[in-house]
This record gives sequence, C-alpha cells and structure tokens, in this order.
Amino acid sequence: MKDYVNPYIPFTATVEEVWNETYGDRCIKTFKVVLDDAAVRESWSHRPGQCAMIGLLGVGESMISISSSPTEKGYLRFSVMRAGKVTSALHQLEAGDKMTVRGPYGNSFPVDDWKGKEILTIGGGIGQAPLRPIVEYVKANLSDYAGLTTIYGARTSGDLCFKQEFAETAKVDGVCCHLSVDIEEEGWPHYVGFVPSLLMEVNPSPENTIAITCGPPIMIRFVLENLKKLNFADEQIYTTLENRMKCGIGKCGRCNAGNLYVCKDGPVFSYAVLKDVPEAFA
Amino acid sequence: MDLDKLRKTAAEVVSRDDVKYLIGWRRGTFGYRVAPHFIEDAAGVDELIFSPLCIANLANYLTLTEKLPVPRGQEADTRKVALLVKGCDSRAVAQLIVEKGIKREDVVVIGMPCPGMIDWKLLAERYPETDVAAEIGWKGEDFLLVRGEEEITIPRAEVLAEKCRLCRHPNPVLSDITIGEAVEPWAVAEDSGVAEIEAKETAERWDYWEEQFSKCIRCYSCRNACPLCYCEDCILDRLDPIWVNRAVNFSENTAFHLARAFHLAGRCVECGECERVCPVGIPLGKLNRKLARTVREEYGFEPGLDPEAEPFQASFKPDDPEEFIL
Amino acid sequence: MSAMLLNKEKWSEFIGKLSGKNLWAPAVQGEVKKYAPVAEGETVELDEGNTTVPPKALLFPQTETLYRFSTGKEELEFPGLDEEMVLLGVRPCDARAMALVENLFRWDFDDPYYLKRRELTTLIGLACNEPELNCFCPSMGGSPDSTEGLDILMTDLGESYLLETVTEKGKAIVEEMKDLLEEAPADALEQKEQLAKGAREKIRRGVDPDGVPEALPQLWEDPLWQRISAPCLGCGICTYLCPTCYCFDIQDEIEGSAGRRCRMWDSCMFAEYTKHTSGHNPRPTRRERTRNRINHKYSYFVDKFGVIACVGCGRCSTLCPVNIDLIDILRQVKAAQ
Repeated sequence: MKDYVNPYIPFTATVEEVWNETYGDRCIKTFKVVLDDAAVRESWSHRPGQCAMIGLLGVGESMISISSSPTEKGYLRFSVMRAGKVTSALHQLEAGDKMTVRGPYGNSFPVDDWKGKEILTIGGGIGQAPLRPIVEYVKANLSDYAGLTTIYGARTSGDLCFKQEFAETAKVDGVCCHLSVDIEEEGWPHYVGFVPSLLMEVNPSPENTIAITCGPPIMIRFVLENLKKLNFADEQIYTTLENRMKCGIGKCGRCNAGNLYVCKDGPVFSYAVLKDVPEAFA
Repeated sequence: MDLDKLRKTAAEVVSRDDVKYLIGWRRGTFGYRVAPHFIEDAAGVDELIFSPLCIANLANYLTLTEKLPVPRGQEADTRKVALLVKGCDSRAVAQLIVEKGIKREDVVVIGMPCPGMIDWKLLAERYPETDVAAEIGWKGEDFLLVRGEEEITIPRAEVLAEKCRLCRHPNPVLSDITIGEAVEPWAVAEDSGVAEIEAKETAERWDYWEEQFSKCIRCYSCRNACPLCYCEDCILDRLDPIWVNRAVNFSENTAFHLARAFHLAGRCVECGECERVCPVGIPLGKLNRKLARTVREEYGFEPGLDPEAEPFQASFKPDDPEEFIL
Repeated sequence: MSAMLLNKEKWSEFIGKLSGKNLWAPAVQGEVKKYAPVAEGETVELDEGNTTVPPKALLFPQTETLYRFSTGKEELEFPGLDEEMVLLGVRPCDARAMALVENLFRWDFDDPYYLKRRELTTLIGLACNEPELNCFCPSMGGSPDSTEGLDILMTDLGESYLLETVTEKGKAIVEEMKDLLEEAPADALEQKEQLAKGAREKIRRGVDPDGVPEALPQLWEDPLWQRISAPCLGCGICTYLCPTCYCFDIQDEIEGSAGRRCRMWDSCMFAEYTKHTSGHNPRPTRRERTRNRINHKYSYFVDKFGVIACVGCGRCSTLCPVNIDLIDILRQVKAAQ
C-alpha cells in the first residue's frame, strides 16, 4: 500500500483561535486552525470555494467550506454550525486543541475568468461562510475586478456571521455592503426584510456582473427568481451546493445531485448547469 | 376461491370515492415470483390474483409507504387504503391497530381465507423456475402446477411453507369483506425447528447462531419486510449515539438480530416474512417463534387476534402481580 | 492468448498447488453460495451457477479498517494489504464488473485499499456453460466467455478444463502448472466455441439498453418511478449483491483509548444514505431513491466513464423479495420514451 498515496489520511491541525459567531442551539463557531506539519503547511494551497473534511479521530469528519481566502496566509478558517455528532464534538474544542483536516477538495470560484467583472455576493445565515473566501479574495485583489458588492442577511442580528469584518469591509473603497435582518429589531440601522427583497432594493445591474448566492434553500429559490427578474443570465449566476458527504473524493457515491458529484464537480456550480439538474435544489 | 368475484369486488372497492388504492398481488415477471400489486383504478384488477405463491404480507405497506408532506394550499389525502390479507397478514393489521400504528377506519380489509402457501424454493428444487411466470393453484389439500399442457399435482407436504405448517390462524381475524369460504384450521405441526435448537447444549447453541449471524450482510430486508417494524427512526440505524456499529461482524450482527427480536416480543404475528426475504437464509423465524411461544406460555397472550386488545407489555392493571410496571 | 488443457484427473493437484497462494473459490456455506478460503488439502468443486455474494467482497470487503489510532500515538496504523490472493471460478460478469468499478476507484484519487488488493489478486475465471435464469450479460456488453478483467479463463469441456491465458499474471500461473497441463488441440478450442455459443443461446431474458442512457434524463418526472418503487422494501439486497455497486459509509469506532476508522458497504436504497444532519433528505422516498439508482447505473456512470454500470449478472432480480426486476424496469424505461 506504500506505493499509493492514501487520500483517506487526514492532516492534524491545531486550533489557534475559536469564537462564536452566533449563539443558541444551532450556534456557529469560527475556528482558525494551523496545520501542524511544516511541510504540509508549506505545500498547502487552496482556491476560494474549496472545502475540507474536518473532524476528530474517533468521531468522524464533516465537509466544511474553507472560509478563508488563499490570500489569508498561515491559517485556515472554518465556520461550523453545531448540528450533529461531528460538529458538536468540534464545538467542544478550545484554542490549543487538535482537529483533523483533509483536503482541499472540490472545484472553486473561477476567479481568473471573472477578472474585470463586478462581483456580487448574496448570502443568508451560515451561507455567508462559503462566500467569505470570494469576498476576501476579491477584496485583496480589488484592482483585478470592477467592484465588489455584498448583500447579507439573517433572521436577527444575532444570527449574522462575521459582523466585525463587515464593518471593516464596508469601509474599503470600491466595496459596497448591504446588511439585513428579517424582522424589526431595536437599534438595527439597516434594511429590514428578507434577502431576496433587499436584492431588489439594491437593484444591481446585470451588466458585466457575476452574482454568487448561498443560503437556506428557500432564500436561494427567491434570489434566483429575482436575479432572473433583474435580467441576469444563467451563466452569470453561481451558487454552492452541499450534501451529506463521507469520503469527499467522489468514491463513496452519496453526494451526487443528478450526475454531478458535489464533492468533485462542485461545490461551486453555475445556474446554467444546475437548471437542468432536478436534484440540485432537492 | 372465485377469482372473478375477487376481481369484481376489488374493482368495486377501488372505484369507491373514499378509497385511494388497493394492494393485492399479481403474477411476477418470471418463475414462481409474485409481486405486490398497487391498483389505483378498476383496470388494474385484471392482473389481480390469489394463488399459493401470494405469500408476501401486504400489511407491511400500510406503514412502509411514506406519508409525504402536504403541499401548501392542498388538503391531506385522507382516503382509505384497501388491501388483501390472508390469516397471518390480518393479524399484522390487527396488531397495528392495537398499537395505533394505523387507524381501523383508514383501511378496507379484504379477507382471503388461506389454504396454505408454497415455499417457492422447495418448489424450485423439484421443478426449476423458468422465464415464464408459473400458474399455480390449490387442488384439494395439494397444489396444482400448470406448465403449458401439463398439469402436475404436488403433494402438500413437499412444498408447504414452514410458517404454514405451524399456522394456527388461516382465516383472517378481521375483515370488511371476505372472499372465499372459511378454511378448516389444520393440525398444527410441532415446531421442530425451535425444539431442535432448544435441545442443544449452550455451547452448541452458540455455535449454531454464530454460524447463522456470521452470514448476515445487514441488508435490513428482514426489518423492512416486517409489518411490525415501522419506527421512523429505527434505533438500530441511529448513529448518535450508536447502539449497533455499522461494521458487519458476528458481534454487531447478533446485537442487531437479538435487539430486533426483543423489540418484537409480544408483537410478532409470526407471518414469516423476515425469514422468507433473507438473501442468505438465516432462520430468523426460529428466534421470533421462540419468543412468541414464550409470550403465549408465560403470559397467555397472542398478539394480532383482537384489534381491541391492549398492547402486551404496554398495559398495566392495578392487580398485576408486579408492583411496578417494569 | 495461449490455450492449455487440464485433465480433471489432475484437478486436485492443481488445487493443491493453488491452495498455497491464499486461494478462494465458490463454496456452499450454510445454504449460501459464496467465496470461501480453500485450505491446503481441501478440494474445490466448481458447479454451475453463480455465488450469491459476488467476488467484489474479496477486493472490497463489506467492512474494512482504513486505519487505527490511539490516544498519545501520533502515527496511524495501517492494515497490511500485502497478501496475494487467487480467486478461482470467477464468472465473466463478475470479472467485468471488477474492471468497470476500477474506473471509480481510480477517478482522480487512487483508492489504495481497493487497488492494492486488486493488484495482489489473480482472477481465474470460469466460462458459463449453463447460464442462470436471470443472466443477461450479452445485453450489457458481456458474454458467458468474456475474458475482460480476468487473468485466466477456464472452460469446462467435460473431461478437462481449457485454460486460456489472458494476462501476464495468468501466464505466471500457467507456467507454474505446466507439468499438469498439455497444449490444447484445435478441437478443444472448437468445443469451447460451441459451448460459448450454446450458452449465449440458452440466455432467455434480456433487453437491449440502446437508447436507455439518453432516455433517462427525459423521464425524470415519469410516473414509472412511483410504479416501480411502490413495492420496494428499501433494503440493501439489490445493491449489496450487485457486483458493480461500490457505495460505502465511513464510521469511527472507539474502545477505550484506541479506535479505528473503517468503511463498510452502504446502499443508496437506505433512507439515511443522503439524509442531512439537519433532517432534510434530498431523496425522501423510495421513489427518488429508485430513480437515482437506475439513473446512476444507466446514465450517470455512462456520462462519467462511458460504460453502463451493470454486467447483467441478474442477482438483483433473482434476490429481490418483491420481484422488482431490472429487465422489467429497463423495458418500462424504453416503453416510456
């Protein structure tokens, strides 16, 4: 077996920092981790949109978006919602503890094809985690792009992720940030309403623009509808899919949406591809 | 049993406004196979049959068929499900009603008094299956196999399914309509299968079951075919906490089968489906029948005979000999 | 491809020589025909028919350890996977299946567990003189005497076995056995052709899959999926006993301070297969799962690897307890076009 590279072997990483993005039953924590092995750290390279299988030996692994852009050097960020066995175990970790990381897997946002274009991200809730790498990447390479607009909303302000960062991002020249909460909230200075409605308020022009959306299925449905109303072509709309995963490398068979394996053909897909795949939005 | 009467009755039932569909049997696509047949309109009754190969317990579909969420703006479809049942199958229906797994008013039960079913594997040993679906019927106590021009009488004892040798209830215990004359219950054979194992010494018994459970591939066909296994979230599937590892080995397999047998104690109606569907021939019926006999002998109780009965082990009377319900 | 003859009088010597190489052959164990190890001194009887459990179980075991770990130990412990193996009596359909699934185990990432085992295994096949009721390998591009995936193909000629060498590995075995073998005369080869022809003619069931991969995407919402799946028990028989099925789950087990990560067969027909932790299931009922299984085998696998993921062994149809019949399904797909 020595003559084969074993893709099932995870790297170990140390949690440098961990903090809550949101609180409550299905709270979200962000983990900033550093790969332990120096050689692995050196050779690690990922592209915005890719994911990794993270977890713990004895518990299992979950496929989580790499929430940091490759422009953020020296660490990887993962934002994890506490939902089941693996994520609950991860949520017990503190700074200094170890986790396993296997990856990077999947395809990525075609950032080179998008050069010169206006980038628009539309996120809801935890859906902002897979969008964060493209936001950070474009922000770091803003001169390569026509501009960056982010639209992000959640049920309440307590459910918004990366709040601190949004405040910083909004200050950057050439970047527009729009935030919303679903229901009226005392002290909330921004838009109140669902993300698809905020999208219509912002009324972005489709010209030379790429729209990337990620969030709860119901939000995606209405965002897609609205993007079409705003005359975005199918090829201009991108999303990331997720499904139950085990191997992460296209072997265990379960993550397919139609003939597309989310772990390999995705997780990034354009709507031009997905609209003919009935299982894509199942 | 008058096949025309059966089909006519089925057509009437399925055409009722308050009936969603009817579940019966039809000839399979080859050999001695018979397939469950879901009939939504009168045209479907042409394929309906009742033959000695109709061994599948259709009551299983009362809980196996998924209840889909009702789309917004639509009303739930509350129409009844009609189904054909033999004696054993009807006991499953009765037990489901006792447990409130289904409601009596949600089903239309068409009872088929049953002279006995064939174990197709015993039949195939004598007359191999062909690509043409076989025609078989009852002939007195025996069976009649029709192959082209040939009519072959097959003695009952040679091919009768084991569960039928042991059957105490060939006539349905409940029904809305009955097709055919009631059958005289026959002399019940001794359960030599269970007695044989009980006669073994413990070590020998262990070896026997080790061989059997080591064959198991954990396909879960036994559990899925069982009309009384219908937990939406089966404890033996749970991963968090994990009660039975998904790894397939003697230890985990034994845990699975014994746990399932105990979950069925006092509920199993001995329809034999678990053993019939097992692709590797594990004699699961023996486990369930032993527990069923224990319940009969120690508690004087037999499940699935009376839809008004109280569930065994789930009821308590103030004058019960034990002080607490456990 | 060279051809040698093994007189059956030399059979036990032949087996004797092979049994030192970790030999596995079909045997009936407690009423189930499956591959079992052949100990030194044991005999092997190759009769008609195929095993219930396909030989995939030897290359892709139902449960296997990926690695072991323990608290305090940084290094993971890997299984040896260095034992050579010989499988005897492998039917051409099962061998074709192994060649087929190799596409998957090599797709971008090499699966070392499967590939290493495959590398260390020699497959000695047995041509089918008497196909079974549900055999339909010719429909799926195979044949009762196909050599695809095999190292040697044997044919039972009555008093002897014809041995046709297919690969270098097969050649090595034949070399070792040369004292037991003789050159096959032309009429032995002729007899083999006749047997193969006869076998093909005996196959009564089948369906031409032409057009099926193209038709399936159009039939996504067709009522045939509801019809086909209504009787389905949602068990794993069809998938577990299918030689081209390879889906697996990965689970961690711990005992005290040590444990292992292992993988085991999984089935797309189980409800939990695609169930998200949130409870959402993109394939909530047997209808969606049945539709996915057929689409995967006859459409998606074709898209990815250019071949239908079915070798016509017939096990699914023979073993399904409620007579869900693959040939019938394919006919319904073609009729629905």
